[in-house]
Amino acid sequence: MSLQEIVIQQLFNGLLLGSFYGLVALGYSMVYGIIRLLNFAHADIYMVGGFCSLSLLTFFGGTFLGKGWLGIIVSMLITMIVVGLLGVIIERVAYKPLREAPRLSLLITALGVSMVLYNSVMVITAGEYRAYGTGLGYDGFSIGSVFITHTQAILILAAVALMLVLHLFITRTMYGKAMRAISMDRDCCRLMGVNVNKIIALTFFVGSALAASAGMMAGVYYGSLHFYMGFTIGIKAFTAAVIGGIGIIPGAMLGGLLLGLLESFGTQIPLIGSAWKDVFSFTILIFILIFKPTGLLGKKESERM
Amino acid sequence: MAKRLWILAFVVVLIASGVFGCGQPAAPSQGEDEEAGGAEAPQFDGEILVGIMVPVTGSEATYGQDMENAMKIAADEINAAGGILGKELKFTLGDDGCDPQMCTAAASKLVSSEVVAVLGGYCSGATIPALKIYGDAKVPFIITAANSTELIKENPGWAFMINSPGYHQADAAADCFEKLGVSKLAFVHQGDGFSENLAELTRDEWLSRGHEVVAYDVVNKGEQDFSSLVTKIRSSGAEGVYWTAYHADGAMLIMQLRQGGYTGEITVADGSSSVQLLEIAGAAGEGVYCTSPPVVDYLPAAQKFISTYNAKYNQEPGPYAGLAYDGTHLLADAIERAGSTDPDAIRDALAATDKFETLCATVTFTPENVLEESNFMILKGEGGKWVLVE
Repeated sequence: MSLQEIVIQQLFNGLLLGSFYGLVALGYSMVYGIIRLLNFAHADIYMVGGFCSLSLLTFFGGTFLGKGWLGIIVSMLITMIVVGLLGVIIERVAYKPLREAPRLSLLITALGVSMVLYNSVMVITAGEYRAYGTGLGYDGFSIGSVFITHTQAILILAAVALMLVLHLFITRTMYGKAMRAISMDRDCCRLMGVNVNKIIALTFFVGSALAASAGMMAGVYYGSLHFYMGFTIGIKAFTAAVIGGIGIIPGAMLGGLLLGLLESFGTQIPLIGSAWKDVFSFTILIFILIFKPTGLLGKKESERM
Repeated sequence: MAKRLWILAFVVVLIASGVFGCGQPAAPSQGEDEEAGGAEAPQFDGEILVGIMVPVTGSEATYGQDMENAMKIAADEINAAGGILGKELKFTLGDDGCDPQMCTAAASKLVSSEVVAVLGGYCSGATIPALKIYGDAKVPFIITAANSTELIKENPGWAFMINSPGYHQADAAADCFEKLGVSKLAFVHQGDGFSENLAELTRDEWLSRGHEVVAYDVVNKGEQDFSSLVTKIRSSGAEGVYWTAYHADGAMLIMQLRQGGYTGEITVADGSSSVQLLEIAGAAGEGVYCTSPPVVDYLPAAQKFISTYNAKYNQEPGPYAGLAYDGTHLLADAIERAGSTDPDAIRDALAATDKFETLCATVTFTPENVLEESNFMILKGEGGKWVLVE
């Protein structure tokens, strides 16, 4: 492989990894934006999404839908709805009663929800890895020695499409406007007649649905699922959200892509290599935060007294 | 006086094993042996409590459970033959979770339960911390799977390894790649005690044979995306990849190597010898080689053990079941030879083991308490199963 080809291939690897980070980061960012909560359970929602879609896909595998793209798309839509609703239920049961409580209580509750989710899945799956069998092969196209499978290409497009839809939803619809308004001043919104509870529930629905779609894509792409799979990606996605400016939607996407690219190029750079790639990417991220503490797209927030 | 009693007990055991052992050869393999054996169970003079330290939760739970099952089969056989020194062999479990911290807790728990000896040790990283604990408490420890050379260095003298150590496997791996005609090799490990140690040993062996190492990389546990690593390996011109860590991540690496257009040879080490690797990897797992410890399926002497295991647990024994079974019998033999449960006597008896025939190997220990002869073999993934390569 020539240097050029290596760069193109790593660019592609980074984009794919980054779009997974971005999809998960969006949920962190949206929830933080609207109720100032670091939702630690979000990474587990991603994992639950993976498992939920696997059961659906296994079920559809026996019907006319099959395990190919048709089955995958149908399972993905159902998974997003089911897991989105799970997010709403979690918000209603665990977070809503504590909305006026000190933020630390909410944070600890989120940790609790996270444990409940992954321990439940651990018990159900007996702690074992599950193979994610799809009908997709390893066909792809190569440009020189750059090799990209169809699956990879479709997944990137799907992730980008989801992010675009979300962006339009936030910027062009009344619901999106209400979300942005609540993140600025919740009490004022309530006075203006915005149904705050409904909008917060909607935020959880959308964030969880996106994480679930990322969980499913990870299953399709990596071929296996595990109850602890959310842990690493959760930390990385959370970092991505902070780097982009937490609470800011395009920031989460940008942060995710940036982290993905840093990681894949870090692996290739001599002396850094795979062992130090996380150190490399996080060092750069720390520098970004030193010079821009509110994140890449973050605005200066003046404290209201 | 006490010694004479022990000798008497020993004779009684011998007679008992002669009577009961030959009288009911198939008894332990019955599914509900507890009830079936109730009427004719041998009378025991107390019990010998032995600790099992294996991971029964976490990513390596499959292996740990499998080892525990195999030990229970061996214990059933030993007890059906009159127990050890006329006493019933009983187990207590400590879950090390393949995690150094959990291992320390499990080892302390076993020591405080006053076990006579401990069997087990699957992940080397989660076995090393236990060595000192057992050494301080004077508890003989038969390591039935873990085989990092770090264990040899850290061993205070109370641990005995019945799996071939890493350097035996490094030779096997280098032989395997040489036979496949590979000369540029890439190594991937996971940065834990076991996989890093094996990667290092094999790399040194490979270099000393005059070949080339083009990549030496690590993937972090819990990470799913190896695509950038795959690109790096492809761009290094590697003809072979040796994965030295465990099966779950190994399967993902194999899939992503094939997905990323890598067409060279792939060999995985013993931590990946589970059939689950081939199940998860699917089509990508075809033609993958494995340097494996003795898997009972291919050992002629182990057929009876396999059918007993099948009947009792309704599943196939895993890759370390044979060694776990062997370890239990070795311990029983050593305690019999020691003539008491005195820790020093058991340790000396273990060290003096001379050509003890087990399913997987003939056990004789070197002065470092390591197996004298290697027991590795090469497997290949074909049709979703491992088959022996000769």
